Formats: sequence, structure tokens, C-alpha cells
Amino acid sequence: MIKRLSGAIAVLAALSAIGGLAAIFSGGPAAQDARAAAVKSEPAPAEPKTGTVWTAPDQEAAKKRAQEVVPFVDAVMEECQLCRQMRLREAGLGIKDITNSYFLLDSSIIKKSEDLYGPVRFKHTKHAAELKDCALCHHRRPLDAKARETTRCSACHQEPFRVNQPERIGLKAAYHQQCTGCHQEMKKGPTDCLGCHRKNVPDHKELVNLPEKPEPIQVTRECLRCHKAVGDDMLKTAHWLWKGPSPYTLNRSKHVNHGKATTSINNF
Amino acid sequence: MELNRRVFLKCIGAAGAGVAGAATDSTAVHAWESRAPADPLGCLVDLNRCIGCRKCEQACQTVNKLPQPEQPFDDLTVLDKKRRPDERAYTVVNRYYPGRRDERDQLVPTFVKVQCMHCQDPACASACIVGALTKKENGAVYYDISKCIGCRYCMVACPFEIPAYEYHNPVTPRVMKCTFCYERVENEGKLPGCVGICPVEAMTFGRRSNLLKIAKKRIESDPGSYVNHVYGEHEAGGTSWLYISGVPFDRVGFIQVPHRPLTELAETIQSSLFSYLWSPIVLFGMLGGIMRAFGGKSDRDINHKGEES
Ligand code: SF4
Ligand code: SF4
Repeated sequence: MIKRLSGAIAVLAALSAIGGLAAIFSGGPAAQDARAAAVKSEPAPAEPKTGTVWTAPDQEAAKKRAQEVVPFVDAVMEECQLCRQMRLREAGLGIKDITNSYFLLDSSIIKKSEDLYGPVRFKHTKHAAELKDCALCHHRRPLDAKARETTRCSACHQEPFRVNQPERIGLKAAYHQQCTGCHQEMKKGPTDCLGCHRKNVPDHKELVNLPEKPEPIQVTRECLRCHKAVGDDMLKTAHWLWKGPSPYTLNRSKHVNHGKATTSINNF
Repeated sequence: MELNRRVFLKCIGAAGAGVAGAATDSTAVHAWESRAPADPLGCLVDLNRCIGCRKCEQACQTVNKLPQPEQPFDDLTVLDKKRRPDERAYTVVNRYYPGRRDERDQLVPTFVKVQCMHCQDPACASACIVGALTKKENGAVYYDISKCIGCRYCMVACPFEIPAYEYHNPVTPRVMKCTFCYERVENEGKLPGCVGICPVEAMTFGRRSNLLKIAKKRIESDPGSYVNHVYGEHEAGGTSWLYISGVPFDRVGFIQVPHRPLTELAETIQSSLFSYLWSPIVLFGMLGGIMRAFGGKSDRDINHKGEES
């Protein structure tokens, strides 16, 4: 029994590691926790210990990295875009200097204000290889001469609306303005929300409004209250429309109309 | 007939002169004074940044516990129609095609988020006879349901046609308008719902004086992308919400409103009328004059004398 239970937990953990799907389908507290752990900080201790679950090493590293909040860079060097491009090129900075080829854009700075979407998976090397110009995204450097030439976005862009840096946009806006702006300009890459993010499923405990022991039809109605399109789609599926004999269904082997729209019962 | 009119005009004239006298007298004593907070919080909306995602509408619905909309928030076909804020939504985003084209000759949309402007000297508040609407020190024009008597003067007074009314609610109907998330901002120290969620920081939140500086700097540093106008700097005497845009404001649904606070005129007349003990005398004098004139008319009518002409 215990073995089975831990097996189930392992499966849930695996699912949540892949995409938080567990929470969508089971909705139980265990799944909630697993999802929260996957989204939130630190590698969840329950996950890799079973030994049987494989996790992509770069995904794990990216998760950890996404949670780091680095010291804020107050002053940046002012130089024109062209000067910076030339300087980086002359310094020979390029793909070979990339230390992280993959990022999960999942900063806790952004999570403070909202949690509507899952993190974006950003392929750093791929973007660098296509653009061949670090200065397009790394558009400024810290004023401190000892600092690295290229720093991460979240070193300069953190909380929005800083009084001392009125034109320094926050991290969320920096990502969105930079990514969407470039994608639009280059006519390449997604510019809509779902092109980059997976939607987080809101907590249905708050949303669903049903009596203690609901009738089946009440449940259907409650689902349809928000998911009307799914209901409409259902009416076009074979489940609903199917017509034909059902020789193996007890007492109904002679029935011909047998889609859910007519005489079907859940017999599986 | 002619006499009738003459008598009537005379009464009006006499009363009017009295009122005018009162007004000129009293302005010397009670000059209209702005009661605007010195440096309230506000929001600068940059129409060049907004991408029309409607997330602000969604956040507003959530934090203010407004009813669910008929179409979900990620359905962008809603933008095909022009909408106004109403009793179910404090803020709406509209899409305009003001004629700008991209390099492929496609029309470029401009999105405009509409909500209460949180005027510095709100006309709605001065029209409210029970003080249910007040301008708070932090910039919000705040609505207190417990004082509201449902007269809806605020709806008539607002130059931006913002307040809406819950006509469908027979028991406790409320005036509905953007609250600038007053409690969230003041007590919880959070950002207004729409501001916090906007993915591109189309809204900048801060002190109004700073926002004006930011707005002017943005226009100045990129004059090709902005029209040289901060909507809300002077409109209706100044508002806490400010807008900058790449296209002229009248092409994207902004109403031209006077630069004087709209409360100034109304309040001057009100205070002059009621500030002097003798002003009711003028009022009743006027009314009496009218009554006499009309009373006379009916007498003559009864007598069929037709001497008026
Ligand atoms: S926009 Fe209208 S409702 Fe809002 S503060 Fe001004 S007058 Fe009042
Ligand atoms: S959330 Fe921001 S970008 Fe989206 S519609 Fe609202 S103001 Fe525009």
C-alpha cells in the first residue's frame, strides 16, 4: 500500500515537473503542492529522491537559476547602441562565451504581482546564433568597470516604478517589450501570450459553485457556465453523434442509435 | 402677449442683476479654490506601449470582485466594438485604427485603456450633494456607498462620462466607477490591479509631478513617436491619470474638455447664491415676479380683454 502510494506520488511529481499537468487533472492537495513546489523556489526535495524519475539536468539548473535574485545594478554606462555593438564586436564577444544555453524565465520578482502564466523557456544560444549581435538584448552594461560586460536582464530590471530610475522598466515589462518588440520587428517568433507561455489553471475550488451532493446535470451545467465552447465542440464529436450497432452492450445490442446524444450510457 | 414677455424679462433681469451682483461681490470674498491634493499618486498611460491584451480588464475584475464578462478576457474579438466602462467593468480597452501604417502598408492599431481619470477637482464630487464622492489625499476619487442616495448627479457632472449605475439592482444599487484600487494602494501598499498586471508597463505608477516629468521626457527624447500633448495635464483642471500618445488624441476617442476645472463655475454660482443671507430674497423676488407676471396673464385671459398688445 505504502509502495503504491509513493509510486503515485512519484508519478505526480514527474507530471508536475513536466508541465504542472497533475494539478489540472487531479486537483487534489498533493497535486497542488507538487505544482506549487515545481513553480516555486528550490528544487522540491520530494522529486528526485525516488531515484527512478529522470529530470533534464539543464532544466533543473535553469529552475534554480530562475530563482536567484542578483544584486541590483544601480548605475549603467550610457553609450549609443552603435558604439556598444562595435565595442562588443571588437572585444570578440560571441556564442563561444555563452555559459547558459537555456533559461527558464521564472523570476520571483514577477511572481510577486501575478501568476497567470507559466514560465517562458528561453533558448539563449539559439537566439544568439540567429541574431549574432549580443548588444541587441544586452543593450547596456553596469557602470562598474569590474562587472561583466553582459549581465542578466534581472540585474538591472527588477521592481517597476523606481523613483530614482524613472525610465528603468521592471523585469516583466523588460522581457515583454524586448521579446515582443523584436519578434514583431523581425516578423519572427510568437507575439501572443500562448506562443511563449502555458496558462496556469486557476484554482477551481474558488470558481466552482455546486451544492453538497450535486446531480450529474448540475455538474455539467456548472462546467458549461465557463467552458461553453468545449460544450459546443462536444456536440460535434463522434461520441455525441455516433450512430451504429453496439453488439457488445448488454440489453442494447440491437440498438442502432447509440451516440451520447441518444441512448448511450457510460458503460466503460 | 408682448407685455407678458416684457414683464417676465424684467423680473428675470432684476433677479439676474441681483445674482450677478452677488456673484461679483462674493468672488472677491470667496474666490474659487482648488481643493486638489498637492502631489497625488497617478498613472501615466503610454498608448505607444499598450498591446491591447485586456489583462488590465481581467485584473480589475478580479481585484474588485466584479461580475464575469460574457466573453472571456482572452477573447480579443471583443475589441471589434467600441465599449465604455459600465457598472460591470470599471475599465475597458478599445482599439482604434487612426491611420498609421507599417512598412507593409498595414494599418497599425492603437489601443486605449479607459477608466475614471481621477480628476484633481472632480466634477462628480462637487455635484454630489451628500459627499459620497471625495478626492482622497493619495489621488483616488473615492465612492462611499453608505452616503450615496442614488441621485446620480455625478453621472451628469462627469465630463468623461464615467460613472455608471447598477440599474438592475433594486435593493442596493451602487454608482460604479474605477476606485484607483484605493484600499489596495492605501492600506496594503500594493499597485492598482491593472498596473500590476500589465505585461509591458503601459501604465507607469507614481506621483503625478514625477509622471508629468517622465511624460515630457519621453515626448522630448522621441518627438517623432509622440504628439506633444500630455492628456490630463490640464484637461478638466488636471487629472491623476495622464496619457501620452503617438497619434492625436481626438483620433483615438478622447473627448476635448475645457482646461478649467469643471467644478469652478458650478461652485462659484452655488456658493454665491447661498453665501449671503439676502440671496434667498433675490431668489424669492425672482419667483414672485414670475408668478405675478403669469398670474396677471391668467386674469386677463379670463377677462378676454386682449389689451396686452
Ligand atoms: S473622470 Fe468623472 S468620475 Fe472620474 S473623477 Fe473625474 S469627474 Fe469624477
Ligand atoms: S494590460 Fe497593459 S498592454 Fe494589456 S491592454 Fe491593459 S494597458 Fe494595454
